[in-house]
Amino acid sequence: MKWIIVTGDSRGVGREIVQQILSETDFGVIGISRSSIEAADELLAKYPDRFRALSYDLTDVDGIKQLYMDKIRKIGPIHGLVNNSAMAYDDIVSNLNVQQLQQMFQVNVFSAMHLSKYAIRDMLLHKTQGSIVHISSISAHTGYKGLSMYAASKGAIEAFSKNTAREWGSKGIRSNCVVPGFMETSMSSTLTDDQKARIYQRTSLKKETDVSSVASTVLFLLSDQAKSITGTVVHVDNGTI
Amino acid sequence: MDQLLLIINEMREEDGNAPLEMLEDSMDLRDDLVLDSLMLAELTVRIESEFNVDIFEDGIVQTVGEIIAKIEGK
Repeated sequence: MKWIIVTGDSRGVGREIVQQILSETDFGVIGISRSSIEAADELLAKYPDRFRALSYDLTDVDGIKQLYMDKIRKIGPIHGLVNNSAMAYDDIVSNLNVQQLQQMFQVNVFSAMHLSKYAIRDMLLHKTQGSIVHISSISAHTGYKGLSMYAASKGAIEAFSKNTAREWGSKGIRSNCVVPGFMETSMSSTLTDDQKARIYQRTSLKKETDVSSVASTVLFLLSDQAKSITGTVVHVDNGTI
Repeated sequence: MDQLLLIINEMREEDGNAPLEMLEDSMDLRDDLVLDSLMLAELTVRIESEFNVDIFEDGIVQTVGEIIAKIEGK
């Protein structure tokens, strides 16, 4: 059995991605998040052979090598990586705090890149024509007050993805981004109803982005149905304008 | 050296190249063994899987002798 790594699997869109992979494919899922193990009971009971939960704090970029060597590679060959974990540090630029900015980039960019390194190495070793999917954000494409720093981390990962696709395409390894609009998850829980209403007014469909629609797009990009799709971004954002 | 020769010949065979009879410390990975950057990446992961050593972790490796030194932990 081949495995798909999903970071930030314990809640929100990450949890939905894991559930869809487990219910609609034969892949196993390796969930990585700070609270993976506590949040995993239900999935472990339902899919004891196909789900593994690893508790890991993705602000620790340097420890990822050991995480791969000691745990991930012993589970089985990797078919896919979904870089979904993200931290949101929202503020206007004049209040920029370097420590918080660095912490956000550790999770959103450096860990995602480092996990991609080991996923690609695993794919090379096992000759797997695998798929990497990064979860970006509509904020990287449309400006929102207070999201410039978060959006910058997502812009970085989109550029990384496009170049990864170019670099490894000859080995059949694909890399794409899904760009969700605002969803009703804990990431957006700090927004007031008024702020949310104004954000949703900027979409063609005039409402929040559906979490399951985002997850099923990720599933599609992981699958063979998307074998000719690489180096691109797929917007799942209710038509944000 | 024998195991490294085995790994390199396995890769050469997959690419339709004739196997090498022997390796020498002075052989250049790019010029003599004609390995490009993606092939070197593949060599790296195969060596890591066999010997638990990441030959490129601390910088560029040029020759067979340098790989052997890394594997032997010199």
